[in-house]
Amino acid sequence: MAPPEVHHLFHAPIADHSFSSDRETLAVARENIVEIWSKSNDAKGFRHLDELRGHDKTVTGVDIAPRSGRIVTCSQDRNAYVWEPTGENGAWKPTLVLLRINRAATCVRWSPSETKFAVGSGARTIAVCYFEEENDWWVSKHLKKPLRSTVTSVAWHPNGVLLAAGSTDGHARVFSAFIKGSDARPEPSAWGERLPFNTVCGEYLNPTAGWVHDVAFSPSGNALAFCAHDSSVTVVYPSAPEQPPRAVVSVAAHLLPFTSLLWSSETELLAAGYDCGVYRFAGDESGWRLTGGLEAEAGRGGERKEESALNMFRSMDLKGRGAGSADDTKLSTVHQNTINSLRVFPSSQEAVSQVTTAGVDGRVVVWTL
Amino acid sequence: MATNINWRTINIDALDPDSSTNFDLTTLTPAVQPISTAEVQTLSGQIRTLVRGGNAEGALMGALENAPYGADDQGKALHLGVVTEVLGQIRQAEMTPILQRIYQSDNGSELCDTLMKYLYKGMGQGHPATNSTSRNMTPQSTGFTQAGGRNFGGGEGGGQAMSVLLSWHEKLVEMVGPGSIVRVMSDRRTV
Amino acid sequence: MSQSLRPYLACVRQTLTAALSLSDFASQTSERHNVPEIEAASSPEVLLNPLTVSRNQEERVLVEPSINSVRVSIRIKQADEIEHILVHKFTRFLTQRAEAFFILRRKPVPGYDISFLITNFHTEDMLKHKLVDFIIQFMEEVDKEISEMKLFLNARARFVAESFLTPFD
Repeated sequence: MAPPEVHHLFHAPIADHSFSSDRETLAVARENIVEIWSKSNDAKGFRHLDELRGHDKTVTGVDIAPRSGRIVTCSQDRNAYVWEPTGENGAWKPTLVLLRINRAATCVRWSPSETKFAVGSGARTIAVCYFEEENDWWVSKHLKKPLRSTVTSVAWHPNGVLLAAGSTDGHARVFSAFIKGSDARPEPSAWGERLPFNTVCGEYLNPTAGWVHDVAFSPSGNALAFCAHDSSVTVVYPSAPEQPPRAVVSVAAHLLPFTSLLWSSETELLAAGYDCGVYRFAGDESGWRLTGGLEAEAGRGGERKEESALNMFRSMDLKGRGAGSADDTKLSTVHQNTINSLRVFPSSQEAVSQVTTAGVDGRVVVWTL
Repeated sequence: MATNINWRTINIDALDPDSSTNFDLTTLTPAVQPISTAEVQTLSGQIRTLVRGGNAEGALMGALENAPYGADDQGKALHLGVVTEVLGQIRQAEMTPILQRIYQSDNGSELCDTLMKYLYKGMGQGHPATNSTSRNMTPQSTGFTQAGGRNFGGGEGGGQAMSVLLSWHEKLVEMVGPGSIVRVMSDRRTV
Repeated sequence: MSQSLRPYLACVRQTLTAALSLSDFASQTSERHNVPEIEAASSPEVLLNPLTVSRNQEERVLVEPSINSVRVSIRIKQADEIEHILVHKFTRFLTQRAEAFFILRRKPVPGYDISFLITNFHTEDMLKHKLVDFIIQFMEEVDKEISEMKLFLNARARFVAESFLTPFD
């Protein structure tokens, strides 16, 4: 297994990150600007290329559309921008999106068709935005009911119509975000058959009801996973429209909560979060379990300084802590602070072979599975 | 009288049913059924019988499996009393094996979370409504108003019970990790 | 060091580590604001259950977690009135210089002697496990400090009394 590729960009939290489909460009959200980094030729990692300025509060979400290369950003200042490359000397042209929300925007994702995107917000609303030709701007339609608290994450179904959302009210929900005129009528699936805008196709809660940090559809779109603040990962298998789900499998981990998760295949999930590491889950409808961490597989750590027994016992006595020496500032994990986002590293292949993480410590790490 | 209302201090958010201040927390605990205090009483009687019969482990399991989430404060306090009693009966050396058996049973992870809830609840007890019930010191001329509520001398009181709970906590965390503590914090089904 | 201090501190450490899982969260009630939810208490669903860790009746720690902030309050051991006065003076000295301590709250929560307020911005700037270390270290130092001060005070009282009474010898 290849060791993880670590890029330490700066000393500030990265709220979200996104790679372009050719892996050449990396967009990271740093405070109230979005920085564009590009792969340098000497293969030493990334160099700072450009900055997208326009937001006046913390940027919370950034996403690069794989085919068109357009970047969408959203921020706690209640705005979202779509940035288009102008072609000449790599400049970017921003277009303000008419979000019509009155609280912070928290997350943003392009739909697979790239004709629309969804913005979650603290106004208990999801704005589904699409381009209106006649007025030449991005307008939005709101998904409101039955959201009762801040939306923390959104994820698109592969068909581009269904949208999953996680919220701090402990529920993960599946909505229809069908926009007349721009979307083709979707194939009926286990989630629903007729799907007008704002149909609630599912509403899920796990027994401990922690805030949902992230949601994700499986590659086929026939299962939904979400991770919550009770350190759990829950996978939902729907049976048929309007019916209770076929199976809801919840795994309570012994670790700190996960903030982000993704499906690497139909039977494997990856999750990362407050424990600063990436963990694997494997299973299917009959059950899921935590199988291990990428950190351990990559064979890091190991070398720990030899220390005297006296020091060890003294530290146990004084600090109430097992092992600890004078220099315990550095964590044994690659990330030195919470991982905020975990995403698939784009590649031409169908299967997920590499993933990237970005965290509060200003590092972007590429992991090989 | 209208003239007596201080309009500036009215929290208008609280009056708007749609405001985020009025989030309905019961929506997070749909499965909780109300339980009457009498039922809790019968349950604790059964558990006490088990303890007297020398089956402390079975008693603990029973108490954790039937945690009365839907009971009122009185019922919950009653059940907490039983759980702490059972925990106190188990010797230090037996803690880890018992915990391991509980953890490996069906639903073991959830039972451990429930136990964790009781440990924290137990530690939160024993100092009811600070500064109200403790022995009133004669205010000295020191001028410290806070001194009145302090219960000096009784400072070590309850230390024995707490150290039992602390050692249970230590052993439990060793097994179930910080995830369990996070669940105690985030779970709205309180004990 | 007393036998029961180690499990007590270990328990506080575990609880704090679990509670310090914070994220950036903008206010749902006031537009364009980002405030510590545990202080604002304007949205009940983003506050978590408070936890108490106690060693005995008079020594305990209250941890009140929320989505973007944690309030940690400590009740320091006070065996008699002299210790009470010393603790009061000591914590007053610290809280008046709260800005130099970053995470110190200017006013303790009722029933406790000193409170800390840790927000997501603190956990972003500083290492989380070091913040936990800081609080643990504070807890063990403060007991030592208070008992040392008490010894000094008694020694000084004896010395003063002796020199005052010498002329009457």
